[in-house]
Order: sequence, then structure tokens, then C-alpha cells
Amino acid sequence: MPEILCCFKWLIDESYIRASSSGELDLETVDYKLSNYDRNAIEESVRLQEEYGGTVSAITVGLPDSTKGVKDALSRGPEKAYFINDDSFENLEPSQTAAILADIISSQINYDLIICGEGSSDLYAQQVGPRLAEKLGIPCISYIQKVQIEGDRIVAEKKVEDGIEVISAPMPVLLTVLPDINTPRIPGLKDTLGASKKPVINISKDDLTVSYEAKIHTNAIIAASMERNCQKFGSETEDIANLARALAKEGVIK
Amino acid sequence: MDFRLTEEQELIRSNMREFAETYVDPIAAEIDESARYPAEVIEKLAEGGWMGMPFPVEYGGQGTDYLTYAIAIEELSRSCAATGFTMSVHTSLSLMPIFLFGNEEQKKKYLPPLAQGKHIGAFALTEPGAGTDVGAATTTAVLEGDEYVLNGTKTFCSNGPVADTYVTFAWTDKSAGRKGLSAFIVSKGTPGLKVGSHFMKMGIRASQTSEIIFKDCRIPKANLLGKEGDGMKIAMNCFDHGRIGIAGQSVGITQAALDESINYSKQRIQFGKPISKNQAIQWWIADMATDINAARFLTYHAAWLKDQGQPFTKEASMAKVFCAEMAMKHTVKAVQIHGGYGYCKGFKVERLMRDAKITEIYEGTSEAQRMVIAGTVLR
Amino acid sequence: MAGVWIFAENHTQGLELLNTGRILADKTGSRLLSFLWHDHQVAEDYLACGADEVLLLPPLEESQPLEAYIPVIVDELREGDADIFLLAATLRGKDLAARIASRLDTGLCSDCISLKLDEDNTRLEMERLVFGGAGIQKVFCSSRPQMATIPPGTFEAAVPANSRREGKIRELPSSPATAVKILEKKAKERKSANIKEARRVVCVGRGIEKEEDLAMVREFAQVLGAEIACTRPVSEEMRWLPEDLCIGLSGIEIKPDLYIGLGISGQVQHVIGIRDSKIICAVNSDENAPIFDVADYGIVGDLYDVLPRLHEELGKLL
Ligand SMILES: Cc1cc2nc3c(=O)[nH]c(=O)nc-3n(C[C@H](O)[C@H](O)[C@H](O)COP(=O)(O)OP(=O)(O)OC[C@H]3O[C@@H](n4cnc5c(N)ncnc54)[C@H](O)[C@@H]3O)c2cc1C
Ligand SMILES: Cc1cc2nc3c(=O)[nH]c(=O)nc-3n(C[C@H](O)[C@H](O)[C@H](O)COP(=O)(O)OP(=O)(O)OC[C@H]3O[C@@H](n4cnc5c(N)ncnc54)[C@H](O)[C@@H]3O)c2cc1C
Repeated sequence: MPEILCCFKWLIDESYIRASSSGELDLETVDYKLSNYDRNAIEESVRLQEEYGGTVSAITVGLPDSTKGVKDALSRGPEKAYFINDDSFENLEPSQTAAILADIISSQINYDLIICGEGSSDLYAQQVGPRLAEKLGIPCISYIQKVQIEGDRIVAEKKVEDGIEVISAPMPVLLTVLPDINTPRIPGLKDTLGASKKPVINISKDDLTVSYEAKIHTNAIIAASMERNCQKFGSETEDIANLARALAKEGVIK
Repeated sequence: MDFRLTEEQELIRSNMREFAETYVDPIAAEIDESARYPAEVIEKLAEGGWMGMPFPVEYGGQGTDYLTYAIAIEELSRSCAATGFTMSVHTSLSLMPIFLFGNEEQKKKYLPPLAQGKHIGAFALTEPGAGTDVGAATTTAVLEGDEYVLNGTKTFCSNGPVADTYVTFAWTDKSAGRKGLSAFIVSKGTPGLKVGSHFMKMGIRASQTSEIIFKDCRIPKANLLGKEGDGMKIAMNCFDHGRIGIAGQSVGITQAALDESINYSKQRIQFGKPISKNQAIQWWIADMATDINAARFLTYHAAWLKDQGQPFTKEASMAKVFCAEMAMKHTVKAVQIHGGYGYCKGFKVERLMRDAKITEIYEGTSEAQRMVIAGTVLR
Repeated sequence: MAGVWIFAENHTQGLELLNTGRILADKTGSRLLSFLWHDHQVAEDYLACGADEVLLLPPLEESQPLEAYIPVIVDELREGDADIFLLAATLRGKDLAARIASRLDTGLCSDCISLKLDEDNTRLEMERLVFGGAGIQKVFCSSRPQMATIPPGTFEAAVPANSRREGKIRELPSSPATAVKILEKKAKERKSANIKEARRVVCVGRGIEKEEDLAMVREFAQVLGAEIACTRPVSEEMRWLPEDLCIGLSGIEIKPDLYIGLGISGQVQHVIGIRDSKIICAVNSDENAPIFDVADYGIVGDLYDVLPRLHEELGKLL
């Protein structure tokens, strides 16, 4: 029976983000949420557990005040959570998150299957899953739409540009799931109230045995212009050709 | 003082929001139009444990506090005031009196199916001749052996046509004044209990409202709630609880009106700019946001008092009258912001304005609330 | 022998990366090396289009996934002391990139939409979208190679140089077996019209005069690979299209890459349904039509006159 570990991130809900008049992003009044794709990861873990038995744990790296996120994750089904937290864990870049997760997972946690969302709904770099698999030295099947367990192997349908690859890999294995793999259940009251009673294993920076410097550095995050172009053309043939070229340049007609 | 909600309360709010967006928003306009009872949504609410929030787990409830319940009603009503009201009547006016005034046997028998949402509860007090003036009721209960025999007509009974369990009120001793009214539990299917005509309403149309007629309706003596003569006390206590729910419902309706108004005013271009650039519109929206804040605090405070075990009658009435009148005032403004479109079907504000009106009427009209408040402050 | 290296899943993406890779190689005074796996025939084209060296990855067995190349690519980049490595941001490309970055212990900018070298021509300054498109994150990578995945279509494809370009073609060793196996490949099934998921939508309004004229619009949509949709009057009053294709307040909301509105005035009830489109394009004969205020590109003209020509011009580019 598989021991399943799902990864989640507690992050800024982008629907609260406004651009200030100076073109900066106003993050002052934002709220936080469980990354959308991680909801699919948790749901798939729980679904597999319902089908095959075993255990589901959840793990996150974040700021110490992400406790609400840990409860949120637990309310979706996992039995316990590993909460690696430190005040310095703000704005980690994917290689750092993966290094921290790998360090703790390899030293403290038994697993047959690790499930991540395809990306996080804030940065959407889509790196943590595959990087984590590399660090743990296990196979990775990313962007999957369907998964089942066959003996000691995982069989998954991986989305590629021109269709689907049905992939088989021996466990332990890491999966990153696409949102269409399932529809996450909305936690009921019992789930939310019960979440507070589930064990949370707090792990601090001192428990880490590896270094994890940032490789990618952010100079700035500015507001993307939401304004429409509002470019008007006449109806001469030259105008129409210009429009066609403009659309091609936007990359929307391929 | 601590104005923060707990993490559970915040999560429960966002779960209810997600629930409402997923299951209620898509059908809200349709069930309003057709005045259909959304049984499928109620079933889903039951599955999630939402139909028995503030009751102990041993009775099938979830053991939340009353504040959390008020928050849930608010979020549900933001999507559909009728569905919010169905849950509110069930919880505050049907489960609550059985929980607070029932004996252990009654609690064990009636609460679990109600709290799990397998049964739906209703509250039948109002009569054709007895609205604000509860004492003008004429329904009687006569003890014959081991049974009470009920005779009379109740009106405006919410959930009436769909309920399994009714809490109702009748005179056991007409000569004893207020002390002659008693409360009873009546189950669906009891001979002599009839669901009378249904009302077609202006708003909260998906909530089912009907007459309930008792004609020689015999119920076991064991169905007396509390003691003989406790009826008035129980009814007033129900209202104290119910009014917090209605206050929450009103906040939800107004929040929806604000959401819609912000959205629309930023999109609607007149005189070459979004109408939200006009100060007149901005002020309406600012007032709306401010009143919602005030209303929310009044509601949460009343619920908090209840959770602290303190008296909250006055505060519940204050919250109810303030929130209801705010909802009415600002849904009218929200329609105004939408111009002619706001007056047409298809825009949510049209429904919100119709729904808002009822909050000033049921569970005690605004005037009745002021009577309660004046009665306490002038004492 | 630091240099700029590229990897793409297909030919067009390869040419796009060659184009931008060539610019970077020239600026940094280094070589441009391209991996090539899908079609060894185009190696010469790659040289003509700017590559200094083409590295041929031996064909994979049916059951071998693309990731089988990871060790070979990693060895090459290490040995070549790569300074910059760009990959096309296809699904497999992104997976490959993250795993190679991990093995090389370097940083990766995912879905990079713009990149340029800093003043010293050493550091790549890259931009990417975050927060669901609300923000642009400006990043650089402090380790080597500097890696980025680049969404197909971000840059124009390179064109062959006029004069003959010299270059090397080298075969790489074949890849070791992987624990991961492909059991089966399924081609993409053409889904029945799902307007909500459509990448491109052609939407018709009351500017269309007769039902028969929809045929012309359908043809146009087909060429574009677009789904067809409409405003409410077209579905509700005229009943030329089913109601579930009505976009807007009382219909559905869509978020395609490209929305083309034909003969649509742009009333807010309709616009609410299209505002999440990436690019909005409109054709309307009334230059004051409100649709132009919410459109990225507009053509002021009679759609009956414009459409055939737009059809033709776009056809040339597809
Ligand atoms: C949709 C709906 C659902 C309802 N659900 C339920 C339910 O589930 N159970 C139930 O028992 N009842 C229910 N009611 C009844 C509701 O509580 C009553 O309608 C309400 O209490 C007012 O009674 P009335 O309609 O008889 O109005 P009246 O009491 O006749 O009042 C008419 C007007 O006179 C005013 N008025 C009355 N007395 C005074 C006074 N002393 N001083 C100043 N003004 C006064 C009132 O404020 C009001 O403006 C429902 C009603 C509606 C419309
Ligand atoms: C409650 C409510 C809900 C609504 N919900 C929706 C909804 O969900 N979706 C929706 O679409 N609408 C909805 N509407 C209707 C909406 O208000 C508009 O009436 C509708 O969108 C207009 O459709 P249209 O642009 O096709 O037509 P029109 O407004 O009549 O515009 C036609 C346009 O075509 C142009 N035109 C005419 N001939 C040509 C030509 N030969 N070449 C080029 N251009 C030409 C004209 O200049 C004009 O701008 C709703 C309205 C209400 C009141």
C-alpha cells in the first residue's frame, strides 16, 4: 500500500493583486490561498489512497505564519503535515524550495509516491517537481492527466503537445499533475474542524543539512499592463496585411 | 479586543464561498425565476455538514460557534439569499429551539436527522391574524389523554412545503395571557397536518413558503417543547437567534450588490469614461462599503455575545434592523448604478433588490426590532 | 569554450531559438550550438540559420521518453562549459530544462518572454509573467549556464543566411536506458467544439446580415483553427447559432488567445465574457463602436469586404 506525499504551497491569491498608479504591484491588501494546482495534487493523493489504501502526508516550505495553509491542506484529506518553516523562507526560488524539500524528505520521510501540482499559481515556474525528483534521484512523470498504480509501478498519461504518452515507471516516483486530472472536493465543516487535530511536524531551518543559495534573482516585479492596445486600422489591403502580421507577432494565430 | 477571525473561521468562510460559487451561483437566477426549491444544493450542504453547524457532534452537528454559522449564512446568501434563508430557518428557528428547550429524548430523536440535513426543519408561528402581534394567534392545543389536539392555521411558514419537522405554537391556556402559549414539535405526515397554499413572492423565491393547517391534528404529549406556557419565551428566543442569521443574510446580499456595482461601474462607459470615474457613483460605492463593514461588525458582535454566553437580544435586534435596512438601501443604489439594465432580468442586482426587501419584514419587522431595542434602552 | 546552446522539440521552435541564440552568441563573442533530435536532415539548415555547430542526438527507441537525453545533454553542457542554454518551453522541454538545471546546479527562468544581455554582455536579463499574468518578474541567473525556457512563438524564426555558413555537425553518443518507459502514444483527439477551452474564437454579431453568411465565417474560422461563437441577438433573436455559443453576461465567459469579433458593437454585457482573452481583435464599420475601446486591434470597415481579405492575409502566414 503506497505511502503518498503531496507537496503544497501557501501563496498570494492573485485575484487580490492590483496595480498601483506607479506601475508597481500592490501586494498590501492581498489574501492568501492554497495554490490551485496543489489542490489537484492533494485530491489525487487522496483519490489514490481511497483506491489503493496506504497513507497520505502533505509537506510544505514556507513562512512560519502559513499555519492556515497547513490547516487548509490537512482539511483536504492528508493525515499529517510536514511544515518546514522559517522567517527567511520568503520568495524562495524553485531550486531552493526543491533543495529544502529534498533534504527533509530524504532524511525523514518514507514514500512511494510524491505528487506535486504542475506549477504554483503565483510564480508558475513549474520547476519544483522535476527538480525535487532529480535531487531525490527518482523518476519524474510531469504534466499528467491520469494515473493508476499497477503493482510496484505507476502508469500515467502524460500530456505532450501532440497528444498523450502513456508512461510506466517504477516506484518511488514523483508526479506533477495537471488541473484536469480531477476536481478537488470542497472541504466540508468536519474536514476543516478536524484538520486542527491532525499532527503537524514542524521542521526548522536548523534541521536542514544542505545549503540552498538562490540561483535566480529577482530584480523587480512590475505590473503587467492590462491596457488594451486599442490600435485601429483602416480597411485597405495594406492595413489588413499589417493587422495579420501584428496578430502573428503576438503569437496567437499558430 | 481582537477583531481577527480564527484560521478555522477564515477557512470555513472561503470553503463556503467556493461551495456557493460552484453549486449555487450557476442556478441562482434559474431558481429565482422558477421559484424552485434547490433540493440538490440542500443535499450538498448537508453532505458538507452545513445544515447543523452550531450543534454538538453528539447530536449530529459540527460543534462550531454561532459566529462561524453567521459567516456561513453571509457567504451563502451572497450567492443566493433564498438558499441562505432556507439554511437559516432550518438552523435557527427549528434546530435551535429543540436543542435549547427540548428534553434529552426529544434531542436524541429529532436533532441528528435535522443536523445532518436528512430532515428539514420549519417554524410555524405567524397566523393570518397574528404577525407582529404574536399574542393574537388563535391556534389551540387541547390535551386529550396522551395527546395534544392542534387546531388552527399558520401562515408564511418558510420551508413549510418541504419540511420534515415543524416547531409550532398554540394556546394551551388562553386565559393565562402570554403564559398560555406553548411550543410543540410536529412531524410531517401527522394526520391532521396539512400544507396549505403556497405563496408566490417578490423575492427569495426559491425559499418555499406556505400555510400550515392543523385540523384535529393529534400529536403525542411528549412533543411538547419545554413546559406548557413556555411558548412565548421559546418564540422570542428563536427570534434572537434567527435575527443574527438574517443580519448575516443581509450582509451577504449587500456584499453581492457591492461586488456587482464595482464590476459594472468600471465597465460601463458613458461620456467617454467608465461611470466609476464619476464622484456621484464613487460616493454611493464608498457608502455601501462602509455600511457593510459596520453591519458586519454588528452581526459578528451579536454572534460573539451569544458565543460568550452573554445576553444578546438587543444586539441581535440592532444587527437585524441595521443590516436589513442597509441591504434595502444599497441594493436600490446598486440597481441605480446599473441604470436600465439593473431593472432587467439577467442582472443580479435586480434579484438582490427584490431579495433585500424581505429582510426588513420577517423574523420581526424593522419596526418590531425598534420596539425591542427601545424596550431595552428606555428601561 | 563557453557558448550559447539551444534545444527545441520541433523545427519551427528550433529556428526561433536559433534566431535569438545567434544574437546572444554574437554579443558575447561565443559560438551557437544546437541540439537536434527530431530530424537530422535539417542539420544543414540549422547551420545556414545561424548555428556554429549542430549536435545530433541519436534517435530514441519507441519506448524511450525524451528525458532519455538528459545525461547526454548534461555531459555536453558540462564539457562545453556552456554559458547560456535556451530550450523551447514545450511541456517536455520545460520538464527537461528543470531537470537539467537541477543536475547542473544552476538557475532556470521558466517561460521567459523577453531576454537581453546586460551592458557587459555577460548577464542575461530576463522577464517572465507571474501572478496569472498580473505581474512581470525581472530576473537574472547568478550561476552558469544561465538557463531559460522560451514559449514557442516568442521570437521570430531565423531565416537562412545568404552566404554559405561554415559549421560542424557532430553525433552524440546514444542515451542509456531509462527506468521510465513509454507504453503507448495517443494522438490528440479532436475534441468536439468546446468554446470555453478554445485557443481562438471568431465571434459574430448583428453585423452579419443573413444566416447564409455564416458559411463564410465558418470557413474563415476553420482556416484559423478557431471555434465560432456569437452575441446574444444572434442566438436569441435570430437563432442562427445555439444559445450555448452566446458569449457574455447571460452566456459564457471565454479566455482564448485570440478573439476576433465581426460586426459586434461591444456592449458591456457581451464584453464581460471576453475580457480575459489575450488578444481582442474587432471588425466593425462604425469607427465609434465601443468594441474598439476594449480591442487590441481593430479594423474599421465593412466585414463583408474585410473578411475575405483578412482570410487571405492570415492564410499566407499560417
Ligand atoms: C417570505 C416570508 C417568510 C416568512 N417566514 C416565516 C416563518 O418561517 N415562520 C413564521 O412564523 N413566520 C414567517 N413569516 C412571517 C413574518 O415573520 C411576518 O410577516 C412578520 O412578522 C410581520 O407580520 P405581518 O406580515 O402580519 O405584518 P403586520 O404585523 O400586520 O405588520 C404590518 C406593518 O405594521 C407594522 N406594525 C405592526 N405592529 C406595529 C407596532 N406595534 N408598532 C409599529 N408598527 C407596527 C409592521 O412593522 C409592518 O410595517 C414570513 C413572512 C414572509 C413574508
Ligand atoms: C440583461 C441583459 C443581458 C445581456 N446579455 C448578453 C450576453 O450575454 N451576450 C451578448 O452578446 N449580449 C447580451 N446582451 C445584449 C447586449 O446588450 C447587446 O444588445 C448585444 O451584445 C449586441 O449584440 P451585437 O453587438 O451583435 O449587435 P449590435 O449592438 O446591433 O451591433 C452590431 C454592430 O455591427 C456593426 N455592423 C453592422 N453592419 C456591419 C458590417 N457590414 N460590417 C461591420 N460591422 C457592421 C454595427 O456598427 C454595430 O456596431 C444583454 C442585454 C441585457 C439587457
